[in-house]
Amino acid sequence: MTDQPLPRVRPGPRFHGGAAGGSVRALLRRLPIETYVVAFTVALWVVLSLTTPNFLTEGNVSNLMRQTPIAAIVAIGVMCTIVIAGIDLSVGSVVAFCGVAFAQMCGHGLGLAPAALLTLVAGAGVGVVNAAAISRLGIPPFIVTLAGLQVYRGLALLLAGGITVGGLPPEVKEFARGTTGLPNLFRAMAAVGIAVHYLLRFTRTGRYMYAMGSNAEAARRQGINIFRITLTAYVLSSGLAALAGILLVSRLSIASPSMANAYELQAIAAAVVGGASLFGGRGTVLGTVVGAVLFTTMSNAAVLLGVDPFWEMVLEGLLIALVVYLDNLQKRRQHGA
Amino acid sequence: MKRNMLLAASAAALMVAGTTAAHAADTVAVIVKATTSEYWQWVFKGAEDAGKQLGVKIDKLGTPKDDAAGQISVLESVAGSRPAAVVIAPTIFEALGDPIAAVSDAGIPVVVIDSGAKTDKYAAFLTTNNEAGGKAAADAVAACLKERTGKAAGKVGYLTAMAGHESLDSRDRGFVEGLKAYPDIKLVGNRVANNEEAEGMTLTADMLTKDPDLVGLFADNAQMGTGAGAAVAEQKLGSKLCLVAFDSDAGELEHLKDGSIYALVIQDPYMMGFAGVWYGYAAAHGVRLPKNVDTGVGTVTKATMDDPKLAGLLDVSKRKLGPFLGN
Repeated sequence: MTDQPLPRVRPGPRFHGGAAGGSVRALLRRLPIETYVVAFTVALWVVLSLTTPNFLTEGNVSNLMRQTPIAAIVAIGVMCTIVIAGIDLSVGSVVAFCGVAFAQMCGHGLGLAPAALLTLVAGAGVGVVNAAAISRLGIPPFIVTLAGLQVYRGLALLLAGGITVGGLPPEVKEFARGTTGLPNLFRAMAAVGIAVHYLLRFTRTGRYMYAMGSNAEAARRQGINIFRITLTAYVLSSGLAALAGILLVSRLSIASPSMANAYELQAIAAAVVGGASLFGGRGTVLGTVVGAVLFTTMSNAAVLLGVDPFWEMVLEGLLIALVVYLDNLQKRRQHGA
Repeated sequence: MKRNMLLAASAAALMVAGTTAAHAADTVAVIVKATTSEYWQWVFKGAEDAGKQLGVKIDKLGTPKDDAAGQISVLESVAGSRPAAVVIAPTIFEALGDPIAAVSDAGIPVVVIDSGAKTDKYAAFLTTNNEAGGKAAADAVAACLKERTGKAAGKVGYLTAMAGHESLDSRDRGFVEGLKAYPDIKLVGNRVANNEEAEGMTLTADMLTKDPDLVGLFADNAQMGTGAGAAVAEQKLGSKLCLVAFDSDAGELEHLKDGSIYALVIQDPYMMGFAGVWYGYAAAHGVRLPKNVDTGVGTVTKATMDDPKLAGLLDVSKRKLGPFLGN
């Protein structure tokens, strides 16, 4: 085997300029899948604005801006692990574990800032453990984080004694309820999104993450420090889950050890609908956020339109399958025939 | 040499088996639906307190989440160790009927708590009348509307924590039936969540968007109550929306205090565990027991929440055992 060239770095699908194709059909083929997802989301908004009197009201828009961020922040973290061809199934349990830890620190009189900082450090610590198990011990990411899903849920229950933790200082609730022009939660999501977008698109670490996700062996031969890249992705994922835990506690004004159940699956769904590939090498912050917005809009729409909640689940599932199918179809067209 | 070791090993195994068998006779096994939920922790606490009084060991068992097949396996392995009695909260009415009958037939008394099972082979059944609880919630919503507007009228909805659970379905049925006594109250919607506080919060906000003139809401367990309470608190609608929720946990109590929740309909999980173990112990010693026992429901509002008689019901960690178990 000879050294392979560094795989073509592709920070996710994007426009390649319209000049080459010429015809509209060629352009449509080149459009990344996010374009369709954005279009679908916008179409849904237009339809909802026209058919229901209450969708496009200040209250509902502000609700949507508060309902999306926590799921989106978790999804952005998971997307980072998907980009390097990994996965993080532990995030839901990490949200609960860190949320309970944060609530108990606040409840025991530790100030908000130190409690939040310690919680984020704990979250990052989970990421270090995951990355070490994957990179150093060679256990597949799926297994490592599946184990984490059990371990951190169990720790959350132990820490809380199996019951809801309440009695938090009022400042904790004020953050999630507060608005300074835009809801604070939305601002938090925007800050996280911009930071991770910058990391992925404009730094060497980001380029290495896509390179590793496209072909780990080639990336290693090029001298990329695989452990460092793995560490970055998993620390981001667990760290953002810890942040989401703090925000969720702020939103609910309690911490429950059973909260954030199956958030990992919602996060994966948002990332995939937003154009990330579970085979690695693809995924963007923007796409992931749009994916999260789409799912929030769908559940909002289901209530406003009075859709049966069971049908809502079926429709969401079908949507995921449809988007991935369209994405694959498009890729096949681009590559061959 | 090898044979000797084998003999020694089997003798040791027999001794271990012997001690556990002798030990099991002083054990009452308590099998709940979901060990990770707060409600069942209170059932366990009641059971342990009874165990201390009786001098029996309590085995706290169950599946992490509602899982009928898993619960049947737990029940079968417990029966194999022949405890003095089994206290069980069946996850699914139909599925647990025959397994419970089989344990009773094997001579181990079974006390059923919280939810029923499709069999009559049990020593006693201690439960909340969930339908009566749902009706109490309907009455509380109506009382709240009357108190604030002078008449029980307007649009009302309800939140279901999970689909297809007998006890939740009974509460909802009781609520819908209970509303029929108030012809001016119009039921406009029902949403089903994933037993998740955050989802309950989102659904409440969305229901209020759909019907901005919603005046009443029933949340049918503690997770839904906490989520709905958080949504009402966020939008500062406590004085406009009559929110009534089932059960009592830290989140619900906070929202009862800040006025986001008008009333809680509370039941007595502690007593189900406590009395369940006493009943099981009594049955194992040949006492004839009443077949069906209602452990009761009550309604608590902000005005009555500080009543010391209710303290142990609202927050089980404050429960005091007196000579008369009034609460």
